[in-house]
Amino acid sequence: MHFPILTSLVALPVAGAILLLLVNGDEKKSAPLARNIALVVSLLVFAETLLLWSQFNVASGEFQFVERHAWIPAFGIEYFVGVDGISLLLLVLTGFLTPLALLGSWESVQKKTKAFCIVVLLLESAMMGVFISLDLFLFYVFWDAMLVPMYFLVGIWGYERRIYAAIKFMLYTMAGSVLMLVAILGLAYAHYSAHGVYSFDVLKLYQLELTPHQQLWSFLAFALAFAIKVPLFPFHTWLPDAHVEAPTAGSVILAGVMLKMGTYGLVRFAFPLFPQAAMFFAPALAILAVIGIIYGALVAMVQPDMKKLVAYSSVSHLGFVVLGIAAMNTQGVSGAVYQMLSHGISTGGLFLIVGMLSDRRHTRLISEFGGLKKGMPHLVAAFLIVTLASIGLPGLNGFVGEFLILLGAFRWDPRLAAFAATGVILSATYMLWMFQRVNYGPVTNEKNANLPDLKPREWAVIVPIIAVSILMGVLPNLFLRPIEPAVERMLTHFHQGAPTRIQADVSPQPPAPSLRNAGSTR
Amino acid sequence: MPSAYGASAYIPIAIFVAVATGFALFTLVFSSLIHSEKYNKVKLEPYECGIEPTTDARDRYSIRYYLVAMLFVIFDVETVFMFPWAVIFNKLLLFGLIEMMVFIFILVVGYYYAWQKGALDWV
Amino acid sequence: MPPGVSLSDFYYILPELVLTGGALLVLIADVLLPKERRAALAWVTLLALGATAAALVPFANTHVEVAHGLLAVDRFSLFFKILFLLAAAITVLMSIRYLETEGAASPGEYYFLILCATLGMMIMAGGIDLITIMIGLETMAVSFYILAGYIKPNQRSNEAAVKYFLLGAFSLGILLYGMSLMYGLSGTTNLRVMASAFVGQEKDPRLMLAVILVVAGVGFKIAAVPFHMWAPDVYEGAPTPVTAFLSVGSKAASFAMLIRIFVEGMPSMSADWRLLFYVLSILTMTAGNIAAVTQSNVKRMLAYSSIAHAGYLLMGIVAGTARGITATLIYLMIYSFMQLGAFAVITLLRRKDVVGDELKDFSGLAFRNPFAAFAMLLFMLSLGGIPPTAGFMGKFWLFSAAIDAHYYGLAVIGVLNSAISLYYYVRIVVFMYLKKETSGSDPVITPALALVLGVTVMATLVLGVYPQLLFRVADVSARTLGVAGITAAIR
Repeated sequence: MHFPILTSLVALPVAGAILLLLVNGDEKKSAPLARNIALVVSLLVFAETLLLWSQFNVASGEFQFVERHAWIPAFGIEYFVGVDGISLLLLVLTGFLTPLALLGSWESVQKKTKAFCIVVLLLESAMMGVFISLDLFLFYVFWDAMLVPMYFLVGIWGYERRIYAAIKFMLYTMAGSVLMLVAILGLAYAHYSAHGVYSFDVLKLYQLELTPHQQLWSFLAFALAFAIKVPLFPFHTWLPDAHVEAPTAGSVILAGVMLKMGTYGLVRFAFPLFPQAAMFFAPALAILAVIGIIYGALVAMVQPDMKKLVAYSSVSHLGFVVLGIAAMNTQGVSGAVYQMLSHGISTGGLFLIVGMLSDRRHTRLISEFGGLKKGMPHLVAAFLIVTLASIGLPGLNGFVGEFLILLGAFRWDPRLAAFAATGVILSATYMLWMFQRVNYGPVTNEKNANLPDLKPREWAVIVPIIAVSILMGVLPNLFLRPIEPAVERMLTHFHQGAPTRIQADVSPQPPAPSLRNAGSTR
Repeated sequence: MPSAYGASAYIPIAIFVAVATGFALFTLVFSSLIHSEKYNKVKLEPYECGIEPTTDARDRYSIRYYLVAMLFVIFDVETVFMFPWAVIFNKLLLFGLIEMMVFIFILVVGYYYAWQKGALDWV
Repeated sequence: MPPGVSLSDFYYILPELVLTGGALLVLIADVLLPKERRAALAWVTLLALGATAAALVPFANTHVEVAHGLLAVDRFSLFFKILFLLAAAITVLMSIRYLETEGAASPGEYYFLILCATLGMMIMAGGIDLITIMIGLETMAVSFYILAGYIKPNQRSNEAAVKYFLLGAFSLGILLYGMSLMYGLSGTTNLRVMASAFVGQEKDPRLMLAVILVVAGVGFKIAAVPFHMWAPDVYEGAPTPVTAFLSVGSKAASFAMLIRIFVEGMPSMSADWRLLFYVLSILTMTAGNIAAVTQSNVKRMLAYSSIAHAGYLLMGIVAGTARGITATLIYLMIYSFMQLGAFAVITLLRRKDVVGDELKDFSGLAFRNPFAAFAMLLFMLSLGGIPPTAGFMGKFWLFSAAIDAHYYGLAVIGVLNSAISLYYYVRIVVFMYLKKETSGSDPVITPALALVLGVTVMATLVLGVYPQLLFRVADVSARTLGVAGITAAIR
């Protein structure tokens, strides 16, 4: 038996949180120690995710590092975890962003620092749990357990309307996920009907033959839970509130990792579990995604608040991801997974930079800024790179994902790709416009004249982001290599279950005529 | 089962109800027919064992009355259980005796408690 | 010894006898102990409960009918008896400081009544005869009528007692009427004999009437909508530990009675009563949750939450399968811990000058007493059904039972309700963690309360992560009922 590395990814942050509980003393004495402990623990977790990657067999699309133990045998519930290429990189992303989020809130969190560190670590643990679970029950436990630390993160350390935002976040997400619970139970029951035993094992449930009726409702329940999390238009209204009110660390984790859980859920569960229903609803999802892309971009454009702008840009960017998934071909899904990582890096970076600005000025309104370039050349340079990465400039991370997604979408239905592509242009517009208003021009507000440039801590935050951003832009294959076998495996399974579009998408040479069929199924 | 509990089984009850109602009605109607209608103050007073009433009937009583009344009802009702026991005592024998001892013991504990708590003190 | 009675009958009711003896002991000790030593009465009470629990041990695997089928000593009743004893012990521990704060004159009566109520519950759970069930029910109910009004100078407590008594008596009448019809139509009061007598009479309108009346009567006891009107006022007015015991013990005992009467006594009528409970379940959880949303008094809010929980619990009955009954048992046990724990926190906040049951009393509790706030957080999450707490496991089992019996609609309504309920549970968390500190007093945790919170917190956490043992016990308990018979009838 090998070292249970996946379990340790969940357990290590919890152990860190317990260690933090032992830190005593008043705020002044305990805060630095608590921060350092949390940082060290989160760095250890990150190192562990890198170790995981290094030992991961990238050629295989199978689940690796599998651990399986009986948990509630009476109901066939198991502790069953494992990673494939898709979840592997999301784990690495989580490991990467958590220390950065802690560093980003290093100085802005000034009250109850110990509790803050505990909450962030618990959140990390739950997020890791979501990505490694291969038992639906276990997945649901982590999925819901994640809400509580996030709720506190927004509710205690957030800005003015934090309580409203925290409750809205909690209720929205909960409302979606409870229906998923019913669907999960329905699946377990279907497995019982077919095989005489209950099971929540995803791999076994993949093989289950479901009636179209069952598929339809279960897919809707799953998709609703995930669509709220993504968030897909029109389920996105909780997102701007939560983002704007959350502290920097909360925003980074929320945008960087938690939104990916929605799309991850679609790839891992909703689509492969219910291929026929997924095929039926894919066009609808794609249309919602495209609406989200354009709507998010347009709304982002008019935001006076930088954080809100970045939040709406997330709606737009996540729309791409959903579009890629709905296309259900290699390029689309690989691109979607790539875009998940990429969005985590660049939006995480944007929130961190907005956090730095708001630490200095205690405002996030674009109109309050202007001409920052003169005083803070380094920060502005970093801001520029992250902005360009978010727009999708070739050579940086954003480009690869969006390109692959558009390619995949084009192979499915060129019209969708055409509309979605306008989102790329719009994103350039709103991001650059915001960048210009904040950083260029004359210094209109005296307070902006003598702001300090990047401090060592902030260098430590921003350099890794930029480094990874460039790495992902220049060497996409490094990241695509583990993704592709897993995606292929998923797609093969998917198209066995939903034969209608198989000819169109899985064959290496796209036979153009049959693509029309897929489009006309709408 | 319905035959055993059929309508015929209720005939004695029906007769009993009819007689009881008839008697009451007859008494009322008959006395109202033959009595003389002469009222005076004494006649209109509530009948109270022949003693003249001194105050209004709707008066406040000391809470003690209720307490004593409740204690009386409780112990009285519980004592009622002893009658059926006595009737079949020759079948229950020693077992029945022990059972009744236990029952009385519980009563005594309650009685003792009420006593010690001052439920029987008047003042 | 008369025919039909044997010494072994007395052996089988040993736990009940021990408890009766304990209750009398408390009463005598109350008189004999000098006034300043009366605090020891709580420990005498706990001793009595402990002795009763010890007396249960020999019957772990017993499955007999006692005294010509008046009582059953089986796993099902054992499960409930353990639940009652646990709930009673926790209630007693909670009461010690509460009674001191309230300055209640004679704690002896209070503890005696708690024990009597427990005795009544145990008889209800064991009863397989309408007469026995009735006796148990009345023993419990009368004790609760007095307990609800125990704080005599408090008008709300008085109101609670009167309301509970009047509506309790009213519901009892309905229940008795139903039971008398059941007796009249079967010629027996024994539920198991009755079950066979009713086979083939499913279409008898008189029997239907009996089912409706008994459902209504039981509905009052479990506080199911629309028979719930008494619950909020009584829960709010009664002394907090009594409310806790009422919402846990009385509810569990009523569910035991419900299961005995319907599953053991009228399996052939299951289509009818399951339909009624189906409607009641939906009404109860929806109305309970919606009413709870607007409350500002935590006790009242928990009262509505308790009503809503009766609705969830009924899902297991509606399913009518062994799995459904198991789920109900599991959830009752889990619910007991989290509900008692939540009330223990309210007790904690009670001070001479602060009632401690308004939402604003919880304001900033996390800063005044982190442990109490954490415990309350856990109970609220558990009541709301968020993993990894016990409440989630319990609800999961209930929903799965509903789905297992093809009640998808009911399960969907159930989960939506638990999403609604989150709103008001989280509101307490908002007050505790997110609101500014208030000048409210620091709650003092006595060792007894610490024990209560420790036990309930541990149970809520452990059952949330490792529920297997409870599941197995509940499963075995449910199966002693012979539910298999009605399961077959349903499928």
